[in-house]
Amino acid sequence: MDAKKERSLSRMKEEIAQFEPVLESLRENPGEMGHLQSFAVEDLVGNHKRIIECVEQGKAFLASQYTNPVEILTAMDVPWYFTVQQQFSAGGTGGSPHTIEDLGEMDRLGIPSDCCTLLRLLLYYQVAGLLPIPTAYLALTEPCDAVSGMHAAFMNHPDWRDVPVFVPDPPYHDDVRAFDYYAGEIRRMIDFITRHTGKGLNMGRLKEVVEETNKGYALWLEYSDLRRAVPTPHSYAMPMSCFYLLNTAGAGEPRVTQYYKDIVANAELRIRENRPEVPNQRIRLLWYDIQPMFFSELVPWLEQEWGAVIAMDMVSYCPYELTDTSTEDSLFRGLAKRALLHGPMIHQAHGLVDNVVHDITRIVRDYEIDCVILPGHMGHKDMAASASIARETCRDLGVPSLYIGMDIADKRYTTVDEIKNRISQFFTAMGLGEDRR
Amino acid sequence: MEGGIVSEAKTESKALQEFVRAAETIVNPEVKKWKDEGGKVVGYFCAAMPVEMITAAGFLPFRVRAAGSTGTELSDAYFGSINCSFPRHAFNMALKGHYDFLDGLVIFNSCDHIRRLYDHWIRRIKTPFVKIISLPRKDEPAQVEWFRSELAILRERMQEHFEVEIADDRLREAIALHNRSRRIQRGLYELRKSDKPPITGAEMLAVTVAGTAMPPELFNRLLGELQHYVSRRRGHSDYRARLMLIGGELDNPEYVKVIEDQGGLVVTDALCFGSRTLWKDVNENTDDPLTALAQYYVADRPSCARMYTKYEKRVDYIRNMIKDFNVDGVIFERLTFCETWGFEQYSLVNDFKKWNIPLLCVDREYTLSAVGQLRTRVQAFVETLKG
Repeated sequence: MDAKKERSLSRMKEEIAQFEPVLESLRENPGEMGHLQSFAVEDLVGNHKRIIECVEQGKAFLASQYTNPVEILTAMDVPWYFTVQQQFSAGGTGGSPHTIEDLGEMDRLGIPSDCCTLLRLLLYYQVAGLLPIPTAYLALTEPCDAVSGMHAAFMNHPDWRDVPVFVPDPPYHDDVRAFDYYAGEIRRMIDFITRHTGKGLNMGRLKEVVEETNKGYALWLEYSDLRRAVPTPHSYAMPMSCFYLLNTAGAGEPRVTQYYKDIVANAELRIRENRPEVPNQRIRLLWYDIQPMFFSELVPWLEQEWGAVIAMDMVSYCPYELTDTSTEDSLFRGLAKRALLHGPMIHQAHGLVDNVVHDITRIVRDYEIDCVILPGHMGHKDMAASASIARETCRDLGVPSLYIGMDIADKRYTTVDEIKNRISQFFTAMGLGEDRR
Repeated sequence: MEGGIVSEAKTESKALQEFVRAAETIVNPEVKKWKDEGGKVVGYFCAAMPVEMITAAGFLPFRVRAAGSTGTELSDAYFGSINCSFPRHAFNMALKGHYDFLDGLVIFNSCDHIRRLYDHWIRRIKTPFVKIISLPRKDEPAQVEWFRSELAILRERMQEHFEVEIADDRLREAIALHNRSRRIQRGLYELRKSDKPPITGAEMLAVTVAGTAMPPELFNRLLGELQHYVSRRRGHSDYRARLMLIGGELDNPEYVKVIEDQGGLVVTDALCFGSRTLWKDVNENTDDPLTALAQYYVADRPSCARMYTKYEKRVDYIRNMIKDFNVDGVIFERLTFCETWGFEQYSLVNDFKKWNIPLLCVDREYTLSAVGQLRTRVQAFVETLKG
């Protein structure tokens, strides 16, 4: 294997080396939550190994972006990895050891610093040769300008310019005509994958996979309902599973469904026994934007210092509908709807601001929310422009809200201490969590 | 070159004077006259709007700008500090009532800022007819078909709301009318290829901007007069470098004048209010004018950075312009917080370096500001081009 390929796998190999001892320790001492905490990481490690094998043995594989339906990739039996995975997996484990160094190198690329850091970082990974070059790429142009702009730049890189690319075009509307158009895009995506990997789609297998992921989504909805309980059964780590379900390389596998059953069962048990994972809950908050990569420095502080639990967040609140698998058309329409409307961040950022109003209203009412935090990621220009409507919605509902303004990928933008100060001042000013003193 | 974009026009060309006046204001005398005579005006925000549909309805197409805006004191309550200054200024003017003259407004999901402006507009501004259109990011046949269906729906809604008929033959007439505008403007660009271009970049921008704010028949008549005038005008030879201006939204000729006052003459552009709107024609020989419009606006016209699939075509377009107009250096202007053009800038910087094309990247606010800094940077850039 040449040096370029070797380097492209280096971060994946590092992550495997970083995660495997953690997984080992969780296997040895799983406790009540061990399996639930380690499952997604196990899946990630397994997928990394699969991609490494493809690169080393010259097998076909894809790079993709979330919301390109994993059910199809699974049914076509094509290995893939998500190009934004590095940023998120680093965040999920408390930060990559390379984060600061990567951000510094990223700054030197010369992309205007007001562009989304998360996506500038992805371009840096590409320039640094840290992304395995796939047989073909499934790109994305939603939900924001940065995703689309970044991808145009991404496909202009000399090493990637000749990689065949397909990007589905998401319409802005949310009616049947839009779903059918997007279903057409998904069908064209399948033709593209077949053309470049030689793998075909077996409709029977796709139906089987979607029926299995449907079970996962049904359980996810059940779990979201369970988080309405006061006190809420789990800390914040569990809601992120929603994102995982949309991205899992194990889509369609009963072990994934079992994972969701286990989450639901554990939540039910904790509610029944009044044994929440976070004791002494005093504030129920809605975190309405994407979670920062350094969330592990904030969530424990929120929970321990203020008894503040994130009862629901933007990313997790995705009103997934189950896909009707009765006919080929209904199945494709369902997948289109899921990809176009329901994905985390897609649901909130892609369409009209009505989605934001609807979500905040429902969540505040259904989850007995005491306050709403609008983190205001610097890359989310649409959220910045809809924050006033979000605040107005909160006012109408009688819940206080706080807009922070941060960079979810770079804590130098607004430091963790500054964020904590802002939140503390807000809680104090609003008289929230007072019984702690 | 010093002396303002209108000084000469005031004394020599009534047409140029009218264009400059139309570019400087929102409600210019022609719009006012149109309204006074009972005409309807339909606004739009993006160069991808098929203005032919508005013309075919018998209305005046008017591209929304924020000329003359002095602040965002009202719209700051709606937009964040990391939002583009163009929608903030435009919405500020709308909140102050400057856009009350619009009978309709068509907005696209052009960018994150503008699509949210739609959300605010429908909540706060009482424009009688407002429609959002879904504009594709690719230029393949499926996208042309999608956009055609969007236009068909727009036609239906406009017909219902305004009680007019937008028949195919009216559309064909409108296409021919606007193509004529494009052809005459291309003729003006053609004159700029000479060693002594008879029209400055600031003047040309005033012309193209004015074309989005006056009746197309009148615009064509004035264009004819201007063409006659400039073809006899002594061209500019007192410049030190031939410049091309590229980027997105730029509707302020004064901005171009600041650049030209530093010794560089802007001889061509690839801008949303500039050549991209006029470099090609809509197909007039077609059975279905809606398909012709969809094909033109999605696939055929020079695209902006929003179109994901067209980077190579955009760059070819710029490189051809550089060659044809004998350009010495390129200035790329970007509105701060625009991610669409931000990532494009990254690609352009890398590619232009490879091709040895001098490039100056400038971030700016919608209204003319930081002029001193702009002057210094352009001066330094022009100096580097002299050798």
